Amino acid sequence: MKIIAIIPAFNEESRIAAVVRDASSFVSGVVVVDDCSRDNTANAARSAGATVLRHAINRGQGAALQTATEYALNRLGAEVVVHFDADGQMQGCDIPAMVEPIETGAADVVLGSRFLGKKTNMPMARRVVNRLAQWFTVAISGIRLTDTHCGFRALSRKAAQELTITLDGMAHASQIQDLIVVRRLRYVERPVTIVYSAETLAKSPSSMRAFAIVKDILKDKLITRV
Amino acid sequence: MIFQIVLVTFALFAATRTVKQFRAQKVSLHWLLVWNGLWAVVIGVALWPTSADFVAHLVGIGRGADLALYVSVVVLAYAVFRLFVRQEETQRDITKLVRKIALRDVDESK
Repeated sequence: MKIIAIIPAFNEESRIAAVVRDASSFVSGVVVVDDCSRDNTANAARSAGATVLRHAINRGQGAALQTATEYALNRLGAEVVVHFDADGQMQGCDIPAMVEPIETGAADVVLGSRFLGKKTNMPMARRVVNRLAQWFTVAISGIRLTDTHCGFRALSRKAAQELTITLDGMAHASQIQDLIVVRRLRYVERPVTIVYSAETLAKSPSSMRAFAIVKDILKDKLITRV
Repeated sequence: MIFQIVLVTFALFAATRTVKQFRAQKVSLHWLLVWNGLWAVVIGVALWPTSADFVAHLVGIGRGADLALYVSVVVLAYAVFRLFVRQEETQRDITKLVRKIALRDVDESK
């Protein structure tokens, strides 16, 4: 199967090359969307072997994922799309297990979970925020997951076509869960290992992230869809 | 008295700005009439406050000033809502445009 890893990247010059090389070993191709980085992310990704698309204006992770998805589906003929982070927290060696339920036809969407057995060094504050996010997601989308904002996902071609992300920022994760329910896609969770470093944690403080996500979802549900 | 002077002065200032914009062909005659009609009402109510009481009584509100306040809150809330939706649509359009450019300009030579 043609598996394409898609990686949204913003100011990840120091980490992106290693991430691209790591993911490349387990997929047919890697697409990086440079979301208007101020550093040399695009060149670093390109020299590591990725196809690079560049956003001329910073639009957020959700927007970058959608751009990469459209490219992977329409230009590369992807049969499976894997959402992968640019900061080196995810491990390429988890990709085969993530893709397996799609290859066997058992699921349309596979969601990575940091709480299904594999070890993680997630800080306490982030655990608490994640638990709150879990409750919030059940209330909003009606989907019960062990991990709501992991970001490591595998989507069949059909699922990738149906899950159009319109929330540009971090709230895209909730939108994807919403759409899984709405489009009645079959989903499973699989354990993944996420390795946190002081550097990556500093880039997105959990409390600020949570606030931004809740704001975006409420804005989308209460106002934009009126 | 001071309030009346401030309100009338501001309304006159706003009205003259609209006339200027109309002369510079930046707004239509329709907009000029609507906008300046509104400021004329504001000046009228400021100079003769009891005139608003008459309208207020018609709709079952005690004082004209209260009616003006209620109407302003509703109008402003709706205006903010419309702006919010418009701004959201603009953001989405920008994303679509940025995406189109990114997909068009992709460097596939590796």
